[in-house]
Amino acid sequence: MTRLRVGLVSWAHVHAPGIAAALAALDQVSFTGVYDEEPERVRATAVARGWPLHEDLGSLLAASEAVVIASTNADHRRYTEAAARAGVHVLSEKPLATTLDDGRAMVAACRDVGVRLATAFPVRESRAVLALRDAIRDGALGRVLAVRGTNPGRYPGSWFGDRDKAGGGAVMDHTVHVADLLRWLLEDEVERVCAETGSYLWGLDVEDCGILTLDMRGGAFASIDSSWSRPATYPTWGTVTLHVVGERATVDVDVFRQGLLHYDDRARRTRLVPWGEDLTRRMLAAFADAILAKKPVPVSGEDGLRALEIALAAYRSASEGRAVEISEL
Amino acid sequence: MTLGIGVIGAGFAGGTHARALRDMPGAKPVAITAAPVEHARAVADECGMRLEPDVASLCAAADVDVVIVASPTYLHADHAVAAARAGKHVFCEKPLARTPDQARAIVRACDDAGVRLGVGHVVRYFPEYRRAKELIDEGAIGRAGIATLTRGSFSVASARPWYQDAEKSGGVILDLMLHDLDVVRWWFGEPERVHARRLTGRAGALDYALATLRWTDGPIVQLEASWAEHDGFRTSFEVRGDAGMLVHDSRAASPLSTQVPGGAQAPAMIPVATVHETPYRRQLRDLIEHFGRGEDHHVTGRDALRSLELAFAVIEAADTGAVVRWR
Repeated sequence: MTRLRVGLVSWAHVHAPGIAAALAALDQVSFTGVYDEEPERVRATAVARGWPLHEDLGSLLAASEAVVIASTNADHRRYTEAAARAGVHVLSEKPLATTLDDGRAMVAACRDVGVRLATAFPVRESRAVLALRDAIRDGALGRVLAVRGTNPGRYPGSWFGDRDKAGGGAVMDHTVHVADLLRWLLEDEVERVCAETGSYLWGLDVEDCGILTLDMRGGAFASIDSSWSRPATYPTWGTVTLHVVGERATVDVDVFRQGLLHYDDRARRTRLVPWGEDLTRRMLAAFADAILAKKPVPVSGEDGLRALEIALAAYRSASEGRAVEISEL
Repeated sequence: MTLGIGVIGAGFAGGTHARALRDMPGAKPVAITAAPVEHARAVADECGMRLEPDVASLCAAADVDVVIVASPTYLHADHAVAAARAGKHVFCEKPLARTPDQARAIVRACDDAGVRLGVGHVVRYFPEYRRAKELIDEGAIGRAGIATLTRGSFSVASARPWYQDAEKSGGVILDLMLHDLDVVRWWFGEPERVHARRLTGRAGALDYALATLRWTDGPIVQLEASWAEHDGFRTSFEVRGDAGMLVHDSRAASPLSTQVPGGAQAPAMIPVATVHETPYRRQLRDLIEHFGRGEDHHVTGRDALRSLELAFAVIEAADTGAVVRWR
């Protein structure tokens, strides 16, 4: 079968090791290796796994038809523009960018040269989420009236608490997954955002707590808990949940519920060991399949931009103490 | 001294209170009324109480020292004020009244008559909420940063039509979220501002509301209240501080569950009692002890009025879409 030549740009993101391993394993992908702005942090892994380590970005782009960008959020734009100039398709980690200007520039750069831009929202690959989408489309819920979504996690550390590199804190990190699910499941757009944020838990300069309330154009309302509120002793990194109130049914989704509880005496703690499907791998496969088939990517750059708008509106709402229309941005 | 208790209302709340009083030290359930009065006959027989034909005669009865107001929300003010004017101490179910003005009238009437007023914010007597308050106050989780409290039931309007009329019940915010608004005031003090959304009146008997409250220096608190929990009553809370987190889920905390051939049973409106003394009885025991000593009960009329006013701030926020200041 034809394989898509895919490379990985940057090792900065906590998801980078999982992405690289998945790219190396996928049948429809030929993994062209890694470029990193700090190559020493990935060199040992690349050598051990036999992955090419590119000393400059141009070398990786020349070897690739598509790249996954797993840099800091602030670097997404420059890497995407470089890939577009080289005619290489892009799958960017989320959030798409840290500012609307950057996000719009990324979408435009890819559109102008005819490469595809995708955003990494792997939760759309969850079988439970897909079943909910089918149920909504089939009318099993009736009209969806309200949704309470949550995506609380631990503070990821590293640059995630650095405003310049991440674009914010927990709200920038964790709003976009559920925001994207809401748009996709309800087939609707967010009209207005009201939010409260605070830095109360980890001693950070950025916010680690955030609750957003969203008004959808179609009349439903929703909320997103995007906090870094899971304690260090929590059995897993965090959760993604949806509580959906429909006219005819109420549905709960807990995306990462599938795991074994491991009571580990040696580590003196309890862990949830996931046994569910690897959503990142499924997302990368779907991206590669779409590029190979010359079809639209499942989750576009525009989808990433819409989700980013919601996080940015939340910041403005929290700082101004009022509801903010997406159209104001 | 034994306090004679009269009960107005024989629905869910009136029946619960009357039954809890049967073996209560310091109290004797003596009379009950309802509209129509026949609705109270079963409870009266069960609890050995006299049927009074109406509120006026119940309030006038010489052997009644305390009147429990357990009528529908929109009638609380009329009934509580009548009891106070008759010189009776008052225990009023939550919400204290349908509107803050009515609630203020109740507080004023009790002050003027020199009688005590207690309000049925029973969640303060649920052991899990009391234990959480103790742990929060002890600093077990450090400083609270973010909390979520949820409360849900099937649509009670299917059983008691007056609930579905938001004019009478106030909808899911006044009926259900009020519990958790009172809890978070009890735990954290007064918030600074609130924003909220609600379905009330837009989806028939279903109702659902989300509110976000902010305290000046934390925590941020999200409240969910639902009349769309078709499987029946459930509550949860999660309080995260900078040194830990407390989690409660009523569905995970029940030491007893039953299943029957053919599937689900009728959904429960309140949790099945899995403690020897129910929170409802504990609440009344506390009330009787305090009133018997001539003291105020844990939840005074003024305290309950604040919780009610906060519920109206949430309703205003939901209906205007605006961020509403509190305090």
